[in-house]
Amino acid sequence: MADQSRDRSPISRRDLLKSAGAAGAAALLPGAAAAELPKALPAAAPAPLAVAPTGPLMNLTAQETEILGAMVDRLIPSDDMGPGAVEAGALRFIDRALSEAESDSVQAYRTGLAALDHYSRYTRGAPFIELSDRDKDSVLIDVQLGGATGAEVGFVGSSGSFFNMVKSHTWQGTFGDPTYGGNVNFIGWDILGYPGVRMRVSEEDQSLMEAGQLPPVRRSAYEYGQFQITGGEE
Amino acid sequence: MRPLSLAMLAVAVTVSATPAQTPAAFIVESPTMTTGEMMPRDYSPDGRNVSPPLTWSGLPSGTRQLAVICQDHGAGNPAPWVHWMIYNIPVGVTGLPEGIPFDASDPMPAGLEGATQGRNGWGLPMYRGPAPPGTTLHHYHFAVFALDAELNLPPGLTRAQLLDAIDEHVIGQGDMTPHYQRHPASADLTP
Repeated sequence: MADQSRDRSPISRRDLLKSAGAAGAAALLPGAAAAELPKALPAAAPAPLAVAPTGPLMNLTAQETEILGAMVDRLIPSDDMGPGAVEAGALRFIDRALSEAESDSVQAYRTGLAALDHYSRYTRGAPFIELSDRDKDSVLIDVQLGGATGAEVGFVGSSGSFFNMVKSHTWQGTFGDPTYGGNVNFIGWDILGYPGVRMRVSEEDQSLMEAGQLPPVRRSAYEYGQFQITGGEE
Repeated sequence: MRPLSLAMLAVAVTVSATPAQTPAAFIVESPTMTTGEMMPRDYSPDGRNVSPPLTWSGLPSGTRQLAVICQDHGAGNPAPWVHWMIYNIPVGVTGLPEGIPFDASDPMPAGLEGATQGRNGWGLPMYRGPAPPGTTLHHYHFAVFALDAELNLPPGLTRAQLLDAIDEHVIGQGDMTPHYQRHPASADLTP
């Protein structure tokens, strides 16, 4: 059975992935040291809450989705500090990307997720989704470092390539503009302490931002006339 | 590359000492590994990839703290490739248990409070075991240093930084060198 207990020291778990080269959330903080985490953002004006999309993914089977969800949840976990990548809609972002710009990566995902599970069973004696959080992290470190290659568990090339692909998409789905399907309820921007897109920053805004007191703007960049989505189908 | 003999491996990592204090040899063993033999796959990414247990005895008089380095002198550019470093080890323990935590938020086992892990070759403050290429056989040198002071070094040191910090404090050294070879492609994949 999967370990139901959650690590109550999320800083060290996120820092673990940062130190493994995963460029964790805190490393993206503007002007902040990698080891620091954002102060809580001041209360924003009430806005209608979006709901993280649910339901089956279009490009992955139910089992593949479970494994991917468990992996994404370890990359940016939900914990005492708040929601993580899964709640931010990273899975739906990835699925949408696989239907559109990343359609060439569908097979890489399917092969990699199968190999991840195979490696987990071979080395830790259980399917990936049934491992404890610690064992999941240990498996993912091996995958990231390219060590998950023994006895032909099935990664194509280095297991690190698969890890980097999923990590990159998880980051995009968590921290990107919500127009692309992720960063639901601006969860990702809250993790970063990013106060949102602004066309103007007054001197007062700057002072408030430096004090960590600037209320966030909950808007997509594309709600501003200055930004338009280009490329792809017109 | 010409393989190193076990004697050469021990010499390669011996820290220089002042003429008045030549490091004394002491015994380093393991309940699960033997010098010159295959280490269990659970200490590699072919298994659980946990740190192996070590024991030591016959520490020189005056030992105040210990440090351990696990390295592969046949890998790295330049060699050696560091798989693990742990230091600030209290003198009261007679070894390390299997499975030292790799997450800094997990406490060290009883008796090892204050022990600290340095950065391995991947830049991670944890044990990461052998993964020699293909089916080549590599040797993994566990060097244990007895120090004459409680240095209380900061976490995350590199091998060079650790060796520099302990250089004038090493009064003893013990070694063991098991080897490892990854399972061939035809190996049965059932755990």
